[in-house]
This record gives sequence, C-alpha cells and structure tokens, in this order.
Amino acid sequence: MDALGYVWLGILAVFQGPEAFALLGVGVSVTLVMVCAGFLLGIVAGATPGLGGPIAMAISLPILISAFGFTPDALLPVMGFLIGIMKGATIGGAVPAILFNTPGTPDSYMTTLDGYPMAMKGQARRALRIAHLSSASGDTFSDIVLILCAPFLALMVEAYLDLPEKTALLILSLSFIAAVVGGSPGKGLISAGLGLLAVYVGTGEDFYPRLSMGTQTLNRGFPIAAAVLGVLILGTVFHQMAQGHADRLRPSGDAKTPDQDADRALSWPEVRALMPTILRSSVIGTVIGALPGIGSTLAATIGYTSAKARHDRHSPPDATAFGTGAPRGIAATEAANSSVSGANLIPVLSLGIPGNTAAVFLILAAESIGGFNPGPSVFRFTTDQVNPELVIAFGLFTCMFVANLMNWTVGGVFMRSMGFLARVPRHRLLPVVLVLTLTAIYVQETRMEAVWFTLGFGVLGFGMRLVGMSPLPFVIAFILGAKLEDSARQSFSATGGDPWFLFTSPVAAVFMALSVLVVVLGARRRP
Amino acid sequence: MSRTGTRALGLICASFAVLCITVWIPLDTDTGLIEKVRRRVEIGDALAPTVAAVFVLMGGLLLALAPGPTEAEDRAPWRGTLGFGVAMLAMIVAGFAVMLVAGPMALALADTVQGSAREYRLLRADTPWKYIGFVLGGVIAISGPICLAERAVTIRALLIGAGAVAGMIALFDLPFDDLLLPPNGDY
Repeated sequence: MDALGYVWLGILAVFQGPEAFALLGVGVSVTLVMVCAGFLLGIVAGATPGLGGPIAMAISLPILISAFGFTPDALLPVMGFLIGIMKGATIGGAVPAILFNTPGTPDSYMTTLDGYPMAMKGQARRALRIAHLSSASGDTFSDIVLILCAPFLALMVEAYLDLPEKTALLILSLSFIAAVVGGSPGKGLISAGLGLLAVYVGTGEDFYPRLSMGTQTLNRGFPIAAAVLGVLILGTVFHQMAQGHADRLRPSGDAKTPDQDADRALSWPEVRALMPTILRSSVIGTVIGALPGIGSTLAATIGYTSAKARHDRHSPPDATAFGTGAPRGIAATEAANSSVSGANLIPVLSLGIPGNTAAVFLILAAESIGGFNPGPSVFRFTTDQVNPELVIAFGLFTCMFVANLMNWTVGGVFMRSMGFLARVPRHRLLPVVLVLTLTAIYVQETRMEAVWFTLGFGVLGFGMRLVGMSPLPFVIAFILGAKLEDSARQSFSATGGDPWFLFTSPVAAVFMALSVLVVVLGARRRP
Repeated sequence: MSRTGTRALGLICASFAVLCITVWIPLDTDTGLIEKVRRRVEIGDALAPTVAAVFVLMGGLLLALAPGPTEAEDRAPWRGTLGFGVAMLAMIVAGFAVMLVAGPMALALADTVQGSAREYRLLRADTPWKYIGFVLGGVIAISGPICLAERAVTIRALLIGAGAVAGMIALFDLPFDDLLLPPNGDY
C-alpha cells in the first residue's frame, strides 16, 4: 500500500468507524461524535477559570476508557475526544480573559492586555471574534505543519538513528525539558530525577521488584495515572485552592463589562489587516511548539512581544497602542498560543517524546488502551501488509481537521456564549474536580492504594509548585523512564557491553554533548 | 524563593540523592549497576535509579551552590498557603477514610439490629450498600474543603457535595455494570 492509500484508510477509519447514530439515513461515526463533543467540552473547560484543558482531559480519560474498553477500536474515539478538548480549551481560554480580565488558561494572560480594554470600550464581541479568527487560523496552520513534518522526521529517525543514538536522544530530551521548563535548570533536574526515581520503583528485570522495600504495596510500582494525575491535576487543585485562600477568596469574574453598543462583526479589510500578524504569530507558535517542553504561554508571550515591537516601529502615532485595546495584540497572542497545540504533537508522534501536558494525556490514552505506540515506528509505510498504527496516525490527523472544521464553523458562536462560566467560583469547583479525579482513578485501578498514591503525588505536585518547580519534567521523565532504560539495556547489549556506548557514534556523542550544554547554558542564565 | 530557601531546598535534595545512592538503592535492589549473566555483561537493576538520583544530586548541588534571587525579590511563597493546603489534605484523607469504613460499618449495624451475619464483600455491588461509603466520604471530601475556604459550614457546600456525588454515581455507576465505585473494589 502506498502513502496515499494510508491517508485514505485513516480518513475512512474516522468517517466509517463504528456508527453512533444515523442522520437522514447516513451513519455518523462514534469518532466524529467524540471529536465534536470533546471540542465543545474543551471550550467549556477553557472558559472556566481554574479548569482548563489538562484537567478536563484528566477527568475524561478514565471515563472514556471505561466506556470504550481496551480494544484498538477505542483508540480513535478516545484520542479524538482528547484532541477535541485540547483544541477547544485553547479558544475557550480567551473568553474570560476578554470579558472579565481573568485568563481561563495561563496562555491567555496576554489576551487580557488588549482584550479587556476592548471590552471596556464596548467591543467585547468584536474582541472575541478576533480571538476566534486568530486562534482557528493558528491552529490550522500548526496542524498542516505537523502533518507535513511528523512523518518525515520519524522516517529520518528510523533511517539514521540506531539504539545508542535513540538512547542519547531521550537523554537530550530530558535534559532540554529539565533546563528550559519551569523555575531553573537545577529545579528542572530535580523534578526530572524524581520522576525517573518514581517510575523505577517496583520494576526491573530481576525477580525482586527494585526499590519496593519488600512491601506488597510498592512491588507493583506506581500506576502511571496515579503519578501523572496526582502531580499535575491534584497538585494544581491544592495549589489553586490554597492560593485562592491566601488571596482572601477573591472571587473570579468580579470585573464588570459595560454595555456592548460599539460591537459589530469583523469586516474583510479588518481581517486582511490582521492576517500578517496572525501568520507571523502562527510561525512563532509552531516553531516553539515543536520543541519539547516549551509551552503555549511562552509562545503567546513571544508572539505578543514581537507584534508589539513591530507595531511600535511601523504604526502611525494615532493607532491604538498595545495594552490599550489593540486588535493586533489579541490576534498575536491567540494565534501564537493556538499554533502550539498541533506542533507540540510533532515530537510525540515522530519521536514518542511528549512535549506538553496535552501530549502527556494522549500518550497516557495510547498506553492504557494499547495497540498504538507513538514514536518513529508508527510511520512505517509497509507495502506488503497494512501497518495499523500508521492508519491510526492518519486517523488522528483527520480528527484534528474535523476539530478545526468545528472551530471554524460553530466554535466562534459557542465560545461567545460561554461568558457566564467565568463566574463559577473556583473554590467550589476544584474540590469536585479533585474527588472526580480520584474516583476516576479508583474506577480504573479498583484499589484504595491507587487513591493514596495519587494523593501522595498530589502533595508532591503542590510542594513543587510552592517552591517554583515545574511538575512537567517529573511527568515526562515518569513516562519516558521505562523507555530510556530499555533502550539503554538494548544498546549496551548490542555494543557487546561497551561502557562508552553513548559516545562511540558521532551522532550519539553530539546528542550527549548537547545534553550537557543545554543544562550548563541554562544554569549560567538562571541556576 | 529566597536565596536561603533555594539553598536549603538544594541541600535537602542533594542529601536525599546521596542517601538514595549510598543506602536505599544498594540495599533495595538485588542486582548491582552492572552484572554478569552467562559470561555476558548486562546493565543491572540498580543503574537506572542511580542515574535518576544523580539527576537529583546535580540539581540539588546547582541550587545549593549557585546564587539565587535575593531575599527582597520573593519572600516565603508558601506563607498563607501551606497551612490551608495541609488542612485541605486532612479533610480529603478523612473523607476517603470514612468512605473506606462506612459501608461495612453500616452493614454491621444493620446486622446487629436484624440479628443477621452478612459479609460486605457479597453485597458490595448491591444498593444501598455500594453507595453508603461513597456518598458519605464523597460529601466530606468535597464539602469539607469548600467550608474550609468559606470559613463556615454552609448548606450550599453540603448541597454541592451531595449533588456532585450524585453526578459521579450517574457517570460511573449507572451506565456501567462492571465498574465498582470506591471503596468497593477493596472488599
């Protein structure tokens, strides 16, 4: 089968999969329904301050797995739903940022700078339309880059990298994430080291499960859902609740927006004027998103800063300045943060390395269900027999375009109707999220130990946030830990027990040198 | 974080890593860093955790030895949040502890009144037994932190807890026959 045949099979897997219902005699597939439902839920989650995409994904995943089971047929509906949430949450985050000066997601903070002033001038709906146009454009651009780049990168990795090089690449990814994410390289290294240490508990090749202290509780290791959801979600819930308390329970969404009498739809000349800003920010967001660990918040900041610098240089003195309600400020931020989502899947699908929280949940879904192992082996264009993983990969690309279509058609209307969610008090919502997450984990693991482990990891995540340490290196190290050890064991055996196996090939040596360099450079800047 | 706080964090992490490398990992793994199996040298179970601990050690030393921000930049970030976090955690642990024992205790009470001797394990998927622990514990774990944040026990908080628990039962229990709500899988 040729490449186009695989693309076609991927499209068919989405549109002709198991049927959910029939509409005018035409069957609508479950995957299609799930992508649309995920997208709408994502907008709701993004528009609710304190909730956001990762929490919505964390809560949904165990429920979806319970509903669809552990068969390969479950992969596209479950992952399609998560992709829908990922995309919906990005545009949803702009709603409270513009209407109430409260960013729904961290990457929408820069949207408040011009979005809220526009709302104060009575142009809230216009600001929301600009945010939607920019977000949908950036997202679509990023997806196209993903589809063009991921297969080629994977093919290059398979063709040129052997076991030692792949091991060195995993070490480089971990060093890079540790060095660039969060507070400082020192804290990043600690976070990644703790993640690795946790994943090695109760595992190993020997009969005795290592680091289990001889206990039954630890000899099965920590469930991946307990570690990931504990550190990411429970840690966030504890921290947000505690911070809300420290801020004397200042309720979100206190700000009032005036009457929107100056509101109107965007005209074509206005859209044309915004397009260069949107395109430039989309490129910035896509490039940043393709690097593992660098999130949409940085993309939004760089997109906004670069657009502001350009605006200051080239715009007439009477033009609306950035920070006072400039439409280009919203366009630059929203295009940049939305274009991260597609590009962030490039390292996931081509290398198996999760780059952000959303990607972590996609890998978690793939690992829980089975039958799809994100990484270079996915893109094997076998001709004699069908590679089912490649069909799933093209199915996922199709899901992304379905979500984009939703975004362009109903996304704008739906997001504009979600303003009321910004008034949901965080301190009442978050305990529900917490118990829902713990219940979902219990339903999956059916033992109370998993709940205690999750709470323990939640405390760790809370502590990390208190000392300014990002939990993302911990999570990514936890996910990559087993793969790193397997790869190192195989490389060591394949090289006949050569202790310098990471330095004998030039490519592996370069990767190792870069691993050290990235930490050293990062440490010189901020220890 | 303050400079002193960063240094303390670095020293704590570095000490933990040294303890792992010298005590925990050697004592709690059966194979060393490398081992010989049938005349072939292979990587042992201790190597990967040791590398992980070296990551923590390096990070700890970086924090302990390199200068951080000054005291004036950021004083204790946990002031006002740590105490609340601990209280909230205690509330949630209490909720789940109640969840664990409430069902069997209710059954024991019913048995005492009725003079029967039933085993909770056999009733763990039956109404109302399967809901007793989840409802009681769930309401405590949800309403407790809300009351803590509002500094008052309110009817609204209890209603939110009860409503959310009912929603979770509708989400996990009603559509799926094979799923067990907490804590029923433990019995």
